[in-house]
Amino acid sequence: MMLVWLLVIPMLGGLLAWPAGRFHSTAPRIISLIALLSDLAIAIPLLHSSADIAMPGTWMAGFNAAWIPAFGMSFRLGMDGVSWLLSVLTILIGLFAVIVSWHEIDNGAGFFHANLLWSLAGAIGVFIALDMFLFFYFWELMLVPMYFIIAIWGHENRRRAAIKFFLFTQGSGLLILISILALAFLHQQQTNVLTFNYFELIQTHTSHTFGILITLGLFIAFIVKLASFPVHVWLPETHTEAPTAGSVILASILLKTGAYGLLRFVVPLMPAAAHSLAPIALWLGVASILYGAFLAYGQSDLKRLIAYTSVSHMGFVLIGVFAFNIIAWQGVVILLVAHGISTGALFIIVGSLQHCLHTRDLSRMGGLWGDMPRLSSFGAFFILASMGLPGLGNFVGEFLILRGAWAVAPVITIFAAIGLIPAALYSLVAIQRAFHGPVDETRDEHDFGMRETSMMLVLASAIICLGVNPQPILTIASPALNNMQPQPTTAMLKEMGAG
Amino acid sequence: MNLQGAVPLVILTILAGGLPAVVAIRRSYRLICAVTGLGLLAALFSIPYALRATSPALPELFTFNALSLGFIGLILISALLILVLAYSYWQPETPLYREEFPLLFAAGTLGAVALASAASFITLFLGLETMTLAMIGMIAYPHFRPAAEEAGLKYLVLSGMSSAFVLFGIGLLELASGSLNIAHIVASSAADAASQQMLVAGLAMIAIGAGFKLSVVPFHIWVPDVYVGAPAPTGAYVAVIAKIAVLAILIRTINLPGANLSASMSTLTTAIAILSMLSGNLLALMQDNLKRILGYSSIAHLGYLLVAILAAGSIGQVAVVFYIVAYAVTMIGAFGVIAVLSHASDVRDVDKITELRGLFWTRPALAGVMTLFLLSLAGIPPALGFIAKMYIMAAGVHTQLWSLLAVMVISGVIGLFYYLNIILVMSMKPSDDAMAVSILAISIPNRLAIAMVSLPILAFGVAPSPLIALLKLMFD
Repeated sequence: MMLVWLLVIPMLGGLLAWPAGRFHSTAPRIISLIALLSDLAIAIPLLHSSADIAMPGTWMAGFNAAWIPAFGMSFRLGMDGVSWLLSVLTILIGLFAVIVSWHEIDNGAGFFHANLLWSLAGAIGVFIALDMFLFFYFWELMLVPMYFIIAIWGHENRRRAAIKFFLFTQGSGLLILISILALAFLHQQQTNVLTFNYFELIQTHTSHTFGILITLGLFIAFIVKLASFPVHVWLPETHTEAPTAGSVILASILLKTGAYGLLRFVVPLMPAAAHSLAPIALWLGVASILYGAFLAYGQSDLKRLIAYTSVSHMGFVLIGVFAFNIIAWQGVVILLVAHGISTGALFIIVGSLQHCLHTRDLSRMGGLWGDMPRLSSFGAFFILASMGLPGLGNFVGEFLILRGAWAVAPVITIFAAIGLIPAALYSLVAIQRAFHGPVDETRDEHDFGMRETSMMLVLASAIICLGVNPQPILTIASPALNNMQPQPTTAMLKEMGAG
Repeated sequence: MNLQGAVPLVILTILAGGLPAVVAIRRSYRLICAVTGLGLLAALFSIPYALRATSPALPELFTFNALSLGFIGLILISALLILVLAYSYWQPETPLYREEFPLLFAAGTLGAVALASAASFITLFLGLETMTLAMIGMIAYPHFRPAAEEAGLKYLVLSGMSSAFVLFGIGLLELASGSLNIAHIVASSAADAASQQMLVAGLAMIAIGAGFKLSVVPFHIWVPDVYVGAPAPTGAYVAVIAKIAVLAILIRTINLPGANLSASMSTLTTAIAILSMLSGNLLALMQDNLKRILGYSSIAHLGYLLVAILAAGSIGQVAVVFYIVAYAVTMIGAFGVIAVLSHASDVRDVDKITELRGLFWTRPALAGVMTLFLLSLAGIPPALGFIAKMYIMAAGVHTQLWSLLAVMVISGVIGLFYYLNIILVMSMKPSDDAMAVSILAISIPNRLAIAMVSLPILAFGVAPSPLIALLKLMFD
């Protein structure tokens, strides 16, 4: 039941925040904070709850109720370690998104916060839904509010970016729907029971071709969301044009839903088909790492640069997922969390840079360290973190992924590791061009105040903790990851020419 | 004679016949609208009574079973909603006699109900013509609007032609089979090659007529002009009630024993479905007029419906009806928003997309509801249209119509473009001169109608089970 509240509270909060914005522009902000904090208060204790009666084993909590019995669809929720980590990340990032938009969003605050809360609720729903149709429902549900956030409060080309974002995700979403339906009907043929229950569908046997087709539908949709190489085209524009809170949510949470979908559905549902897709996935991962990094290097718009680094980092995630072993998956989980924190922080920094400089153009920055020492030092810190500096969270994630992938696909790993060189290049160039160098223009000094500094301190200490002591995260995630049943795939991958 | 099964039809006949008398006694717009509304309500509430009929009423002319009465219920509910919209649409300052509109409305509904429950080609044709003629009157009703007159004339000429096709087709069928009874013709097989050819030709001609009324490609040319010219409530009427009635007789015929789509027919239907989905959505892309967009979008939606019709079987049947329900309420809602914003006395409705600019800031509730309707048309949760689309896809996957599904996905993405564009325009900051739109207060009946349409769209979009259970009863 707790899981239902986790969804209901932000939904209701959104419903309240919208009309509240008419009375006072602060009211929706406070409502959002209260909603998210109470969500957090629900989520945190779940970690220590003993296994739920309804959901034995590694599941922390569960819920099940009939929804559309005619199709065997139920309102089935469940939370394990991975879901918990991503849900808590969602709530925390949501809190930061509310705080950053405290001064940035001044018109239509009510509607803005309603959309913010609804998209967060959709994302949490995606992370805890265990009925495949319910999963798809939440998957679609988080799109519309996000679309509004980009389209109404974004920057210059917001309309184009919003439509692009929506079309890509919605179009690929229909592939998910068809795959899910095909799987459910296949399951019905075998067992005479029409159901969308994850635990039932996982036992479906598929013929080779059909399995690959179903998996392919899911795979394409999830890598669109993950913004992997050939289907990343929506990401740079969307992340650049969205308002700060929107970019933070997009990069820190929505990208993660793609990775989560791969881990939770593509891999366990049809392991054989997933294995035969693995070579493609691994090479796409490599392509994303290199391509994203090179394009990031070429950007003069700081926000776009960060957007492209996401493409690169999500390439690591893709490789990690399709390395099919626990080490790599642990790396994936760590990287998801760390990337959520570091990229979120970077977008907050760029947002406030744009707020006081009225530009995101690197060529018009330079010498910021003198004017804004606090902002610049945090900026440099998070750029280094996202580059993968040892001792910080992202390094642990990427290292574990490479370590895990080495066992199954050394060639891929070598190429992926090469990607770290352009990463260092774009990071250092960004730091240099933005923060160092001569000051070209005179600007008003507008360094981080209390609000921003404390936000940054929280995020920075989180990333340091993650880098120095990742074990707690691994402990939370590992029962869930064990459930996803890794199989030795070295032989299979070698056979298919990827090793 | 046992008329228990035919009670809704009888009530409507009395209503349509009695209304002129009411006008003659007292020319009051309120009174006549109230009488019409009460008559429709009475017909609606008589459906459970009619369902309990033990012996068939007028079996030679009409079929009243769960299926046809279900469709009649749907027609009556839609008619009631549209009537509420029409009631407040025709403001007192409109320079015309308002009282005859409900008259036409009742006659058209009578025709639709007769068509939906027809058992013989005679009643089919009579119902079709009653409905069509009433609709022509309703389209051209605001005679001071040149566009409305033009639309009425266009609809008159083209539907006259399609009626001629239907009539010719009926004649051929009668010649070939010696009967006018639909069930009999469906069940019988042709005696010789000549009558087989006549049967095929007759069916094809009737199909052309149906295609015209359903506005599927290539019989869709009339749609945009008629939708734009017609006043908003009539637009809803043409888009919803006429289509439900034709779909009702179509689905009933397909469900008759002995009915089967021959291979060539189903290939043809597939082609029509694909063309309708694609061209409906593609043509809607270039429009700047909301009614035109709704018109083209209705073409695409009928294409989706054909997918479900092709995917026969238990899922497909309910999918069709479910989709019709979703389409009907959503279309009424969308036209309702136009009706709410418009003045009947103006020379045209508020139907340019640019006129909706800033609606989110001037009237958040109305904009929110309109967004819900558009999401429903686009098939995005939490709106009813999403479940409807899922239903059709489920039917398609179940019967493995992969190519149709692929087209559905592609055209769905194309469709998103223009639905999203409307939402975008509504979310833009209002320009200063656009504030004029927002001055008009929304009347209480209009609020009621819009709320009554949007509530089920949201409620059944979140929890569709009760609706599914209800619609399944139609096929028991």
